[in-house]
Order: sequence, then structure tokens, then C-alpha cells
Amino acid sequence: MSVAAIINEDQRDCYQELTNVAMGQAADRLARLLNAYVVLPIPKISVIENSDLNMALQGATSDSSVSAVCQGFIGAGISGEAMLMFNDASFASLASLMKYSGPLTQSAELELLMDTASVLIGACIHGIGDQLEIVFNQGHPVVLGQHCDMADLVAYGNNGWDKALAIEIHYTIEHVNIECELLLLFTEESVRALNKKIDYLLD
Amino acid sequence: MSDKGQVDTIKDIHWLMDILQNIDVGLVVLDRNYEVQLWNAFMEGHSGVSPQLAKGKNLFSLFPDLDETWFKQKAEPVFQLKTRTFTIWEQRPYLFHFRNSRPITGRSKFMYQNTSIIPLESVTRQADHLCVIIYDVTDTAVGKIDISRANQTLSEIQVRDTLTGLTNKSAWLNVLENYYASQQQGCLLLLDMDHFRDLNHALSHQQCDEILRRIGTGLKTLGDEQHAARFGGEIFSVILAGKGADEAMQIAEKLRRSVLSLGKNSQYTISASIGVAERLDDTPSASEWLSNADKALYHAKESGRNRTSLFKR
Repeated sequence: MSVAAIINEDQRDCYQELTNVAMGQAADRLARLLNAYVVLPIPKISVIENSDLNMALQGATSDSSVSAVCQGFIGAGISGEAMLMFNDASFASLASLMKYSGPLTQSAELELLMDTASVLIGACIHGIGDQLEIVFNQGHPVVLGQHCDMADLVAYGNNGWDKALAIEIHYTIEHVNIECELLLLFTEESVRALNKKIDYLLD
Repeated sequence: MSDKGQVDTIKDIHWLMDILQNIDVGLVVLDRNYEVQLWNAFMEGHSGVSPQLAKGKNLFSLFPDLDETWFKQKAEPVFQLKTRTFTIWEQRPYLFHFRNSRPITGRSKFMYQNTSIIPLESVTRQADHLCVIIYDVTDTAVGKIDISRANQTLSEIQVRDTLTGLTNKSAWLNVLENYYASQQQGCLLLLDMDHFRDLNHALSHQQCDEILRRIGTGLKTLGDEQHAARFGGEIFSVILAGKGADEAMQIAEKLRRSVLSLGKNSQYTISASIGVAERLDDTPSASEWLSNADKALYHAKESGRNRTSLFKR
């Protein structure tokens, strides 16, 4: 993966710090939603090329069968997309933590996916937005796929971009088999605008 | 604030209220007890419930069809965590049962809806109200459903013979490979119509198609576990899963007789020859197995047609 010069080292550290705070808030919300202890990961900041997106996704979870939703967000001319991927083996534990009764059908799993996505994505991007004084407006979530191969998720890929800033956050829940990956992606134009805000913080 | 400033503010609020009333999305504000505080014109128009009637009423008593448990599962985190939540039509087609906004040309009877549920904070920074925004996504949903149906049809076409509805040759060959690889016992059956070219000349094409269709129907009655296919033209193939040679020959005979009976009210003889090959311990491959069945079929043809032959080395 080529780390192009769309962010410098200082900026990268700053993104890391921003994410740490935001995902902590998101983890707290998730913990309250699930009433369970959420293991705090270390976010990974990288610059990916369009062609690397699949690879970035494949590195995201160990399981080959996943379900995912994505959600666009925009504020102050900065737009990005959040993707939340669940390892399909996670749903049984998730259902019991969220006290869903009834059989774990595909539609029940979609409910779990959407409920978790609402909380995690919302908290994370607002956490980042708050620190940068940007109000992010979220678009509607879109199901990328259920029980599909990771490689098929973005098979129809959007080709309007070349490089993007990727923030990967891998959440796990203590003592239960729940694994999910939150990926925040900002395109190059948005990164330029974000960098300005970041530089302001760094000064 | 100066008088002019006050007038301007009031004017702004007035405009905003007008916009909220007329905007083409549904807006509902609910308090902590799920009682309606705001109900815009979109909601009034589609539900027939006026804002005066809705105001102060519990949402679930106004709309008994609304699934209270489900909705609260989405709404409670909004109050408790001050987070936005979303529902999409793929989860449930709609929150409120409204009719399609295009009753004549619309292709769905009801309105598909996406909803956003957002927290509204009071002066004490508590989320004591929430706003439900209802989007009409009928056209998107119908379009998406159409595409997935079309894709399904396409993949059906890839594996099905359109005349008989049986599996087609290439798909069946895959099934055969997998069946062979799974080490299961069974028999292969190849059925070829006798002198079909002559029949084609004597009868209309529609009549010949009808004969093939009936044979297809007959093969389907063997059940799903016996994989039947239209192998090509007037040849049919079946994997008789788990059947020994004796049983397979009985099935083949029955098939042969039923083909013969298709012509009993006709001046033409309609008959078929059938070859059967059992999977033996030393059948080296799926293609060899198929070729054994083909040899048996050839034998049936050579020895006078309208008969059934079992492959023997």
C-alpha cells in the first residue's frame, strides 16, 4: 500500500489522536447499548488507493463471510463514508447481548447490523466532528451485502476517486465472539480540507 | 433586540414553519412518552390524521399497526445515547402504512419508507424529544427489487432449459461432476426420442415441443433428488441418485412406456430408447460414466429402438 504524501507524519499522529478520542466515545455508547465491555483497539491510519480498497477490506476481518453497511456523511464541504463490517459468526452473540428473541434469520441479522451501525458510526463521526468543530450530516445507511464474500462487497466499486484516507477501527467485545470493523474513508479533496483543520489544531 | 430584528426573526420562523409544513418528507416530533408534538402536512396528507387530532396523542394508539417493540428498539438509543438511528426499507418496508403517492402509475400499493430518528435536546441538554423523519423511497425500492428479480431470472436462464423447465446441459454436467466427486452410488439414464426428425416433419413444431414438454413434466415427477435435464435436442439425462441397476431399469422401463403412451391417440408412433449405466467401483470419471450410458443408449438403438439397455462391459 503506497502511503502517498496526502498527509504528513504530524497530521497522521493528529488523526490517530482524534480517532482515539472519537472511537472511545463510540465504544462507550456501544458498551452501554450492549451492556458489555468493549475492548479498545488502536486505530490504523493509512492512505489507500482505489485499487487497494479490496485489500484493506480483506485485511479487516479474519472471516470470509461478512455482512456490511455503509453510510455517507458530509459537513463543511468534507465528505466521507463509513463502512461497518461484521464477521457473520458475530450475530449469535450480538443477538443475545441485544436481547433479540426469535430465530436469527437474515432479516433479524439486518436489524442487528443496522442498530449497531447507527450507534457506532454516528458516535464515531460525531466524535471526530466535535473535535474539529464540524457538524457532520449522515446520509441513509445502505446495505452492501449480507453473508457475502468480502471481495464482493465493493465489486461494483465507485471509481470517482484515486486516493483516500482510511481509518480502520477493529472492535471486539470481551468474552464473546463479536468482531466488527469500522472503516472511515475520506477522499483526497476532503483530506485537503481536513488537513487545514488539523493544521490549525497542531499550531 | 430591536423591533426590526424581532420582526425579522419572527419572519424567519414563519418561513421555516412554512417549509416544514410543505417539505416532501414526513416530520413527527415525539416526547418521552411517545406522544405526538409535531405532525407536518406530509403526515397529515398521507395518514388523513390532522395535526389537531394527532397532537398529544400516543403514537401507538393513533397507529395500532405500528410495531411498538420494534420502533422502541430504534428510538430508545436516541433518547438514552443521544444518537441518531436509521431504519431502511430492507428491514421493514415502511413505518407508517401509507399508500403509494402515485396511485395510478406507481407499481407498489404502499409507500416504501426510510426513516431517520434524531434526538432533540432541551435547554438542559437532555434528549427529551425525538424527531422521526420519513422519506418516501418507493421508486428506489421498487427499482432495486426489480433488479434483483431480473438477476435471479438471468441466473435461472443460465441453468434452465426454457422449453421443459428442466436443468440445461451445462448445469447438469456440473451436477454430475459434483455427484461423481461425492462418491455416491447411482445410475445414469439417457433417453433419446426415436426418429424424432421424422416426427418433426410429420407433426407441427408446436406438437413436437409439446411432446418434449410432457417428457420434461414426466421426468420432474421423479423428484428433485433425481437430477433430470434436457441434455440437448430430444435427449434427456437423469442421475438416478442412490439407485441400483435393477431399480434404475424399472424406472427406465416405466419412462419408456409413458413416452410410448404419448402417441396412443396419434397415427404416429412416439417412442424413445433409453440407456442406463450404473456407477461401478471402477468407473474412473464422470465423463466415463456418461459415456457408458451413451454406449447403452447406442445398444438400445441398434437392437431396434423403443427399448431399454443396461450398460455391460
